[in-house]
Parts: sequence; C-alpha cells; structure tokens
Amino acid sequence: MKDDLTELSDAALAVGIARYRQEALAEAYRRHAGAVYGLARRLLQVQNLAEEVVQEVFLRLWNQPDRYDPARGSLRSFLLAHAHGRAVDMLRSEGSRRQREEREARATAESGYDLDHEVWDIATAERVRSALSNLPSGERTAIELAYFGGLTYREAASRLGEPEGTVKSRIRTGLKRLRGELAAAGIVVGGDR
Amino acid sequence: MTFERDDLDELLGAYALDAVDTDERRRVEEYLSLNPRARAEVEQHREVATMLSYSGAPAPDGLWDRIAESLDDRAPEPGPELAKVMPLPVRPPVAVPAPAPDPSVLASGRRRAWRLASAVAAAAAVVIGLLSWRLVDTNNRLVAVRSAQVTLKDQYERIRKDDSARRAQLLSSDGAQHATALVTVDGTGYLDGSPLAVLDPDHTYQLWGVVQGLDGQQVISLGVLGPHFDVAPFTVRQGTLVKLVLTEEARGGVPVSKQPAALAGDLT
Repeated sequence: MKDDLTELSDAALAVGIARYRQEALAEAYRRHAGAVYGLARRLLQVQNLAEEVVQEVFLRLWNQPDRYDPARGSLRSFLLAHAHGRAVDMLRSEGSRRQREEREARATAESGYDLDHEVWDIATAERVRSALSNLPSGERTAIELAYFGGLTYREAASRLGEPEGTVKSRIRTGLKRLRGELAAAGIVVGGDR
Repeated sequence: MTFERDDLDELLGAYALDAVDTDERRRVEEYLSLNPRARAEVEQHREVATMLSYSGAPAPDGLWDRIAESLDDRAPEPGPELAKVMPLPVRPPVAVPAPAPDPSVLASGRRRAWRLASAVAAAAAVVIGLLSWRLVDTNNRLVAVRSAQVTLKDQYERIRKDDSARRAQLLSSDGAQHATALVTVDGTGYLDGSPLAVLDPDHTYQLWGVVQGLDGQQVISLGVLGPHFDVAPFTVRQGTLVKLVLTEEARGGVPVSKQPAALAGDLT
C-alpha cells in the first residue's frame, strides 16, 4: 500500500485522513514530519518540546481534517503554519521566558541565523539560497527574526532599533520579493503536493 | 486601536509568520474572513515560508508510534457516508512509518470502553456527549472530504487536457448511465462519478480494474466509493489496466463481486 500512497496528492491523502485511514496519516507523516520537527526544533531548541509540537500537529490533522483546505495551499504549508504557530505560542508563554532568553543568547553566541541550513529540499537548495541572497539585508533579517526567531515584528523592530512600521513592511515586501525570486528561479511555490 | 484597511494589508506578512500580537491577530483574522484577496496573500506568504523550512533530517524514532497510539480510541468504523475511497492494496502492504494498529487492539479498546460505560451510572451522559462529539466530528470530516473533492476535480480537469493520459468511458448496458475515467502514465487514475445516480445509503459503488500482468489478466478492487461520489482517485502500479468496471455492492464493499457490471469501459 505504501507505494500506492506515496503517489497520492495531498488532496487524496486528505480524503483518506477524513475517512479515518491511518495509513493516509502515516503517509502524511512520512512526507512532512521531518520538516515539522525541524522547524519546531529550530524555534524551541529543545527536543521534547519539538516532539510535542509534532504530535499536536499530526493529531490535529487527524481530529480536524476539515481545517486543511487543499485548494488553498499544500499540506506541508498547512502543517508548518500550525507547527510554527504552536511553537511561537510556547516561546511566548510566561513559563518559557527564561528558556527563551537563554535560547536567544545561545543562538546568538553560536551562529546567529543561517538560512542556508534551513532549505527544505537539497535539490533546490542552491536556487533558494540564491533567491535569499538577492533580498535586501533588512528584509532578510526581518524575516529571519520573525520566522526563525519567533519574535513579533514589534520585538524585531526593538531588537534592530528600527521603526515598527518599517520592519512590518519589510517582512511583507521581503516575502513578496522572495516569492518572485523563487518563481524566477523556476521553483514552484505552492500548489498541490 | 483602530485598523484601516491599508494597515491590515501591511500586517499580512507579519501575520503569516505569527509575528503579530494577540489583538492584531484577531483584527487580521476578522479582516481575512471578509477578504479573499487578503486570505490568498497570507497563503502565499506561508508557502514561501514553507520553502525555508528544513526537512533534511527525519523526525525522532518512536515519535510516530506515540502518535499512532493516540489514534487508537478515536477512530470509529467508517459510516456509510464515510465509505472508503482510497485505493485498496494492489500488493501486500509495505511498511509505513509505523504499522497501523492491529484491529483486535482497536476492538479490545472499544470493548473496554463499553464495559466501563455499562458499569457507571453517569455513563449515559458521557455516551451522549461522545455521540455529540462524533456527530460534529463526522460533519467536520465531511467538510474536509468535500473540500478535498474540489481539488480532485481540479486535478481531473488538468489531466483531461493531458494527451498522454488514457481514457475509459464507462457505460451501463442500456447506455443510460456513463462515467469517465482518466489514467496517467504513472498509473494514477481519477473516475468522475458525478453523472451517476445516487444509491441508497445501504449500497455503494465499487470500482474494479482488469489488469493485464505477466500471468494473464486479473481483476482487482480499486476502491469502495460510497453511494455517490464526484471524483475518486485510484492507482494501479502493477500490470496494465485494460478495463474498468463499476458494480453496486452492499455497504462496505466486497473482496470479490458477484454482481453484474453496472457500468464498464475499456481503456483507450
């Protein structure tokens, strides 16, 4: 059955999950759990918290498959958006404030944010890296702090010593520019599967 | 704080990256509920963010097992409107991240729950609550199925324009009913059942493929499709699919059909 499932689209998998086919969920896990875990681990820096996020993400897909609309984006994007939101919630909770401060200090001390190591597909790594390098540094930094640092745009602005409106605008403009760069590099963004 | 439309638009990138505060998130979500263009922009931003996310390493060992264990007591048997549409196995199952739980384990879990419900006086309320949850859950799942069907229809329409795809026009013996199937070169197929009559809830359409292999022809089940379906996906990975047959079976489907073909058509 695995060979059959590996060929199914996100939409077909969603049908299977909605119809209580555990093997469909297993296939979704096989495809995307690495990315979900990688993102959660990147944000939280703690393995057991990252695992907790992965569990929540896939259990929610199982229990609330209607939340995923294949017409609006890929399953990977949906799962990562949930994982990111959950990880950010954990980061921002009162109890994790101390951990967060330690994590930020550690991240800064170790290597800062290196998007070169966050590219999800080795085959497209070079082109994504190139697209990223073409972004103005202000936009790139704002996206890094928000997405991988888990900061609000206000916090990022404070960190950078820039006006809040500027950082907010840079995130949006940067994402749009990055989309254009990726499309120009022949990398399809979005779509089914 | 008041938000103008331009302010909300400017927040869409930060919102997509979860980089807004609680009040802003609420305002943006209200805005998104009314503005499809803004919703589409957020989805695009999230897709871009997806490209940046790392997936080179697998999730830790054992994590899938823990998730699968959590599913055990949640999955009821499919009801008539939730009949299987996924392809049945063409060959023996290959290991997935973790094997699906033994059905006997599921059965014992349900038996335990039933004994407990019988023994406790307050169980009636629990059961009612559970049934209510199930109804809501089932409705949500139906929404998900319908949503996915829209995309399956889109895929069907795309393949319809693909000259390399093979086609089968399934017809009933009297020619009154018809359905079209498309099969891509990799063996992925889609059957458009939207023109077909709706069966009663105790019956289901079941799709069969006649496959030419090295040892001759064999008939395999390609899916139990329910009393009505729009576009159903199926796959054939071994042999060459030469004919499709649709039968009407009792709810749940059968491993071997004794029914006459309701519709049939050769792949061309």
